[in-house]
Amino acid sequence: MSGRSLGALTLATTLLLAAPPGRAADPEPSKAAPKGESWTLDSSNWQDGKDVLPESVVKRLQAGDYWFNVVSVDATRFHHNYSQAFWDATDKNAGKYDLDAKTCGLKDKATGKIPDFVFGLPFPTIDKSDAQAGCKIAWNFTMAGAMGGGGGATFTLNGVDTSGQFRRIKAFIHSRGFQGRHFGPLAEDNPEHLAGEGLSGAIEPQDVEGVSQLTKRYWDWESQDAIWAYVPSTRRARRVNAASRSDPVAGLDIFADDLNCYAGKVEYYQWKLIGEQEILAPLLQPYPFPMRSVSPTRQLIDTPYMPAGYEVPNRRGVPWWIQDHLVFVKRPVWVVEGQSSDPYYNFGKVIMYFDKEMYRIYWKLVHNRGGEYFYTAMCGYHFVKNDETFSAVFPNLVVGVNDKTNRAALGGRFQSSFLEQHWDPSYFSLRTITHMTD
Amino acid sequence: MSRAVMTARGTLVLVGVLVSLAGYLWVAEVGRRTPLRASAPVEPAPLLAVPPAAVARVEVEEGTVRLVAIRRGGGWSDAEGRPWPRDAVADLLESLGTIRPVMTVDPDPTDPADYGFGPDAVRIRLLAPDGRPLLALDVGERNPAWTGLYARRTGSREVMLVGALLHWELEKLQAKAPEP
Repeated sequence: MSGRSLGALTLATTLLLAAPPGRAADPEPSKAAPKGESWTLDSSNWQDGKDVLPESVVKRLQAGDYWFNVVSVDATRFHHNYSQAFWDATDKNAGKYDLDAKTCGLKDKATGKIPDFVFGLPFPTIDKSDAQAGCKIAWNFTMAGAMGGGGGATFTLNGVDTSGQFRRIKAFIHSRGFQGRHFGPLAEDNPEHLAGEGLSGAIEPQDVEGVSQLTKRYWDWESQDAIWAYVPSTRRARRVNAASRSDPVAGLDIFADDLNCYAGKVEYYQWKLIGEQEILAPLLQPYPFPMRSVSPTRQLIDTPYMPAGYEVPNRRGVPWWIQDHLVFVKRPVWVVEGQSSDPYYNFGKVIMYFDKEMYRIYWKLVHNRGGEYFYTAMCGYHFVKNDETFSAVFPNLVVGVNDKTNRAALGGRFQSSFLEQHWDPSYFSLRTITHMTD
Repeated sequence: MSRAVMTARGTLVLVGVLVSLAGYLWVAEVGRRTPLRASAPVEPAPLLAVPPAAVARVEVEEGTVRLVAIRRGGGWSDAEGRPWPRDAVADLLESLGTIRPVMTVDPDPTDPADYGFGPDAVRIRLLAPDGRPLLALDVGERNPAWTGLYARRTGSREVMLVGALLHWELEKLQAKAPEP
């Protein structure tokens, strides 16, 4: 099995803490997005976008490569895309947590140790003058993404250049989170003291079928993720370095660290708050999707497919630009720099735009270790909610664009995903990935 | 008919010759051979070749705008003594200490203005406490892909490509300049 195939595996490991498990309650029907003000931002009015998009994206906008369907949202309703339970927990977290000065790890003020369980944003208020503000923002991001608890989806990775699609991979990912989830800690034991675990596998094309990966993320300040990759042709599962999150996935212009725009442990980076501004946030729709129960522990979420330019006639913009079912909402963001000190990590300084309220990263700009800018990732999301007791936020789209090679990769765009409340205890194991193709 | 007879003395002489030859081979050939190994990659020096702590004064000039940062105590202030925000200057220096030229784009350009080295070029000067220049750099335009910037050391005609991180750091510096 080639290294490219192995790289494909890396993708999935990063879904840890990203997808949620829900509860058995039936959701309330989704409310359609209100017909608010909407407008198109394109090359004819590109000046309107220059302060609300990263510079590399404005350049594409100006050239006609990209265009944006911008919609207005009701700020209060958008805030309630997360459950009241989540916001109540966030309020209660005020003053409760601190950071380990050396690692940027989350610390319970009462014990001086890593907390047993966290739910809600650990730092409800961010002080711009705080030297640790960047790290606190990163922790809020992590815990907002973890609120769902676990689940999965089958998705595609598409390599696209100016001529169209040149490679397509179909894969799945399943995850379980132990931290940050609604309804408190899982009843199951957590003997490995994990923050979460994930399992992924390639389904198509045939040359990568069965290539799979298992990731375990430890709930501590020091440990690296434990990642195993399995290749059917060698029948061996081997350990993979956690820094492989910065390797291209399957030779495409997308990286495992692109999921949610950051998929590592908070402790892997040094974080620095640089500024604040407004940005256009990519969303499948501004308000939550409904769930439907298919078992006492599993809920399904149906979402529309986001076709890209290479898939439709008379496209607008470059072949990788999403043509439908993607809206952009103007959101206030923190601008944060992140940098890894791991010599095996390929990225240099990474600039990320975090929602100041919902704590999602919408855009990230990546420099290599030599200081060359080369890559922008746009990260899109959708929300899921039943009532005020449960909500989740799913990463559903990454558009990774390598401006050095003028190529892109699309990740996600799944039409169905699920939340799982109770996984088989033995599912996230080496046995599962080594027997997947039996 | 004569018989060849191997005597003990003859054997000793032959052994002596053999040892001499082996010694020669060891000293003259094997001993001098450099072990096979990959050569270390030749990496150009970073733009700022001294530690950031060695810089006492930073000057950035773009058109009519001139930013000055002078190291005073544990921080930086401008020429009028107004403090720079935390990290604003340090980030620039740290980046200059890590950014290395990606390539030489043009050793002797016919018209340097093609690379943005006109009157609007950004000029960076870093000085040591004794006023000695540590770095003097002209920064021109971005390359077409915006992955890097054209730059040249002041006084040199050679145009280099350096990472666009420098653009980001300069923008940060300008945005955080002390209010007059």
